[in-house]
Amino acid sequence: MYEPLFPWIFAWLAPFVGAGIIALGMLFKVKDERFYGYLSVLSILASALISLQAASKVFSEGRPLYSGGDFLWIPWLNVTLGTYFDGLSSIMALVVSWVSLFIAIYSTKYMEGDWGYGRYFLFFTFFVGSMMLLVLADNLILLFIGWEGTGLASYALIGHWYTDEEEKGVGRPNRYALGFPMFFEPTHSGLRAILFTRVGDIALLVGAATIFLATGTFNLVEIAEKAPVWMADLNAKGILSLSLAILSLGMLAKSAQFPFHEWLVTAMTGPTPVSALIHAATMVKAGIYLFLRFVPILLSGALAAGIVGDLYPFFLFVAALGAVTAFALATMALVSDELKLILAYSTASQIGYMFLGAASVGLLAGALDAKMIAEGVIAGMSHLASHAVFKAALFLVAGWLIHVAHSRFIDQMGGYASFMRLTAVAFWLAGLSLIGLPPLSGFFSKELVIHTAFTASPVLGIIAIVTAALTAAYTVRAILRTMHLPPRASSHEEERHEAPPTMLVPYLLLALASLLLGLAWPYLAETYSEMALLTLALGKSYLPEVSLSGTALAVVALVLLSALAVFSAYYVLKVRFSELIVTAPWSTIYNFLFDRWYLNSILYWLFKNNGLRVANFASDVDEGVDFTYHSGLPSIGSLAANALRSLHRGATDYYMALYLASIVALVLLIIALMG
Amino acid sequence: MELPLPLLWTSVLLPPILAILSALNRDLLRYSVALSSLLFLLPAAVGLYYVGYAGERSVADPFSINLQQYSLGSFYLIVDGLSLPVIVGISIVTALVAIYSMRYMSQRIEELEKEGTKVPGMAAYFLLYNAFSSSMLGMALSSNLLLFFIFLEISLLTSFALIAYYGYGDRMRISLLYFIWTHVAGALFLIGTLFYGIGAGSFDVLLGSSYNKAFLNVQAEGLLFLAPLFIVLGLLIKMAITGVHMWLPYAHAEAPTPISALLSPNLIGIAGYAMARFGLTLFPSFMESIANALLFLAVLTILYGAFVALKQNDFKRFLAYSSISQMGYLLLGISTLTYFGIAGAMLHYLSHAIGKAVLFMIAGIFITELHGLRDMNKMGGLARAYPITAALALLGFMHLAGIPPSVGLWGELLILLGVVEAFSPLTPLSLLLVTLVLVLSFIMTAVYSFVAMRKIFFGPPKINAREELDLFKGSVLVMGALGILLFIIAGLLVSPAQGAVELLLEALR
Repeated sequence: MYEPLFPWIFAWLAPFVGAGIIALGMLFKVKDERFYGYLSVLSILASALISLQAASKVFSEGRPLYSGGDFLWIPWLNVTLGTYFDGLSSIMALVVSWVSLFIAIYSTKYMEGDWGYGRYFLFFTFFVGSMMLLVLADNLILLFIGWEGTGLASYALIGHWYTDEEEKGVGRPNRYALGFPMFFEPTHSGLRAILFTRVGDIALLVGAATIFLATGTFNLVEIAEKAPVWMADLNAKGILSLSLAILSLGMLAKSAQFPFHEWLVTAMTGPTPVSALIHAATMVKAGIYLFLRFVPILLSGALAAGIVGDLYPFFLFVAALGAVTAFALATMALVSDELKLILAYSTASQIGYMFLGAASVGLLAGALDAKMIAEGVIAGMSHLASHAVFKAALFLVAGWLIHVAHSRFIDQMGGYASFMRLTAVAFWLAGLSLIGLPPLSGFFSKELVIHTAFTASPVLGIIAIVTAALTAAYTVRAILRTMHLPPRASSHEEERHEAPPTMLVPYLLLALASLLLGLAWPYLAETYSEMALLTLALGKSYLPEVSLSGTALAVVALVLLSALAVFSAYYVLKVRFSELIVTAPWSTIYNFLFDRWYLNSILYWLFKNNGLRVANFASDVDEGVDFTYHSGLPSIGSLAANALRSLHRGATDYYMALYLASIVALVLLIIALMG
Repeated sequence: MELPLPLLWTSVLLPPILAILSALNRDLLRYSVALSSLLFLLPAAVGLYYVGYAGERSVADPFSINLQQYSLGSFYLIVDGLSLPVIVGISIVTALVAIYSMRYMSQRIEELEKEGTKVPGMAAYFLLYNAFSSSMLGMALSSNLLLFFIFLEISLLTSFALIAYYGYGDRMRISLLYFIWTHVAGALFLIGTLFYGIGAGSFDVLLGSSYNKAFLNVQAEGLLFLAPLFIVLGLLIKMAITGVHMWLPYAHAEAPTPISALLSPNLIGIAGYAMARFGLTLFPSFMESIANALLFLAVLTILYGAFVALKQNDFKRFLAYSSISQMGYLLLGISTLTYFGIAGAMLHYLSHAIGKAVLFMIAGIFITELHGLRDMNKMGGLARAYPITAALALLGFMHLAGIPPSVGLWGELLILLGVVEAFSPLTPLSLLLVTLVLVLSFIMTAVYSFVAMRKIFFGPPKINAREELDLFKGSVLVMGALGILLFIIAGLLVSPAQGAVELLLEALR
């Protein structure tokens, strides 16, 4: 019943092997950069090819490919080294490995001459391996190992330039919000990334532990099979929704959902291809992927156990958080003046869409059937895939623009379209896909999400539509500002030319892919539907319909209107935004949005300041304990010694008096006792 | 089963003898250190092979001392699933720190002589070091309370002498302070042991033997309730649980660094192991009755140690407070009285042993190469000059925080499972509480680890130096690599631990 361990395990093991060899190379001080770059690209290519082979096998044979499910690693916990390709994980593995491959190729050129070249590719490759492990693991422990691996790699890569020069930071130096600095050095950002996500990681483990204690297994397939039983069991104890919410905290933190988005928006301090990797293929996609993995398990299980209604609070929690994230981060992106930061806000916002799409089906309660579950998963998954492609392209373009401008601020860029036509084409294609205009792939997937959300809850649907309009506004602004409008501040002019092919080709291909995937949508939708049938815990007797609703037209019109408004604000009305934002009513709004709704400051006050307060208190207590034991007790001892010593001072008459007094006392005592 | 050769006694007795022999001829010292290192690794190899790989329940040395005619039981040296992670930890750390000591201590002794202090030389150091290491191995291998206590006394005396001779700061006062505290603990443990042993007619502690079961609940009668009480109190002081921890920051920060690397993870952790081994085997109902109090103390210690660690500027003192916090995890695992929790505590012993030893050794690298640099505020940007050391420090912190691919993951995972299980059946309130406590506890290790990482290694470089990979740093590298290897082969440790803990908890079920 199980496929052999090899070669499928190399889908995630190959990058780890690559990373191991890279580490050895660093230890033995291999100087040649190509050693690291080629090894990384080759090992990711191996992973991508095996994923392709596996996915086509799954698709053609019409059943999941399960390898090594009988290879026991940690016996007691029944942790196997299983690699599980089903519909969902196959698509995800393809997206992760191929997008990562493009980014790796781009990186070999981008990082040329960097003092941390070897280290960069060590963690880059490790990152991809961890993500592939997370995607393909057949059990929650293996998955968690990949999960933690992505956290570690992102920590190292975000803080790659760990000497913390100011130009490597993110935010505006010397800007404060409510007294808290809004500028972050690379290593500060790295610290934030690992600590923010680790809060969720522990919660995820607690959630997994409750499932394990209810089922006796970490194996996803078994958890899916036993879902009706353990879910009913937890429900009877009244902790079903709560434990799922705790489980989902890990996913929400990893995927940078409100208020955990804070770690992601400062993660821009890493080299730009790292941002591309984190936003498009790895890390933030881990959370939503795991959620997509669990949605069919949970909803099918609940359907079978007849407790769908009891899951309502949980799904409302996730869907609402997704909607809030989508909206909030889009508003922040409107005013940001750093190119990568705009894209980062947009990532969190778009992942909010994915959560919204997938969680919405859980709100249907009575109306829910197996088909709708599949449609929810397809909505989340297809937006994930199209986002991966266009966001990778956007970041890789941004990497080149930042290199050209020698600055991360969009005000110091401008007019690049006439110097680099292909880059401009790529930027527009990927940008329009993000906006959600037909026939780009982003349009179709975003439509699915909005449609699903609208069906489940009109309020959430409207938030999603408003967000779409905001998305159009900030994207068009960013492209116009960098590509077409003249630069506002002084800028470097000597390097305004097209990127070298090693960098240009990857983002051009990715941008074209987002167009082609859109053009091929009818075929793609069918593939998604068939893959959904092959996904764990989704039934086999129906084919979900993926069609466009009437609302699509309205949304497109609204989005176009919004894009047009931005266009005319710049070209027709010639609004001077820099002057506008310092005047009375606007400056308040501007500051609120620019300082990320003051959330950073609130979180820092809540946890950092109060944490330090506790630390101060604890170390005061510690000094008190130290004093008590090591000064207090000894001085009591020496006082007592002195007092006793004074009785023995050597004066004979004093001794005689004491002697007599003692005799008298003794006699009195004896009389008293006898009487 | 019984070993064909007395390998365990050899690894305990031979290293001190080798050290004495090497004192006769200075040239022999290098070989004696190398050979002792190999000997220290022997129990780990024996345990991993027989108990881990071949699946024996326990493996005993063929040589034993029978003292049953004096009602003292027998002195056996044994490895089983419960002690295996502990023994592997002690073996690896003592073997590699011995090699590390060569450069560190010759420089330290030179330094002391320059100050005008006359101290015993390298041969004397290695005699004390080997005796100290052997005694720790002996404790983990003992199957008898009295034998355990004898080894405990040797470890205390040797470590006291090591601090007094080669320590930093006000070393006379600090070594005295250490001596008094640990002897209060030792005396309490001895009183408890005597109460038990005299009452039971033997000091043997054999896991799952019918012999101990006969005496399982003797403590109920008369003064015998003092036996578990005193034993547990003594062990809590040895573990440096909050409230009775104050000796540790002094001793572990000011000991010569190789000794810190042995004291901090290994010696104090043995108290946790002893609590699981002796407490649960001999006094299960007593342990059950104080489980909640221990759990509270554990969480308090985790948080207290972590918060105070955040305020430290001295690298070694910071690590010392972190050790206090880590002892909280050990106690947390044990106090759950679940399979997962206890096995997790033993695995956490191992990962803490490796992680903390790596970190102390790194503190020692800076002390040796950067003119006694210990102040974390004066560090910063050190990764630029010391890239491999920085990578190893990250790996060390990963062991503490339980981040794969370090063996720390397994300890963390099992302890967490144990805690959740201990509160089962869960109610919404208890689930919420457990989540809050666990998230807070586990996040604090990550907080102080990564904050310190940034303080020490990142930011603009302040110091110019060049890293040479010699035997000195090579020993740290090997230790880190073993931490990753153990993560991969953790199955060899986890399955035996399961078997042993099941026997251990039989009395409670």
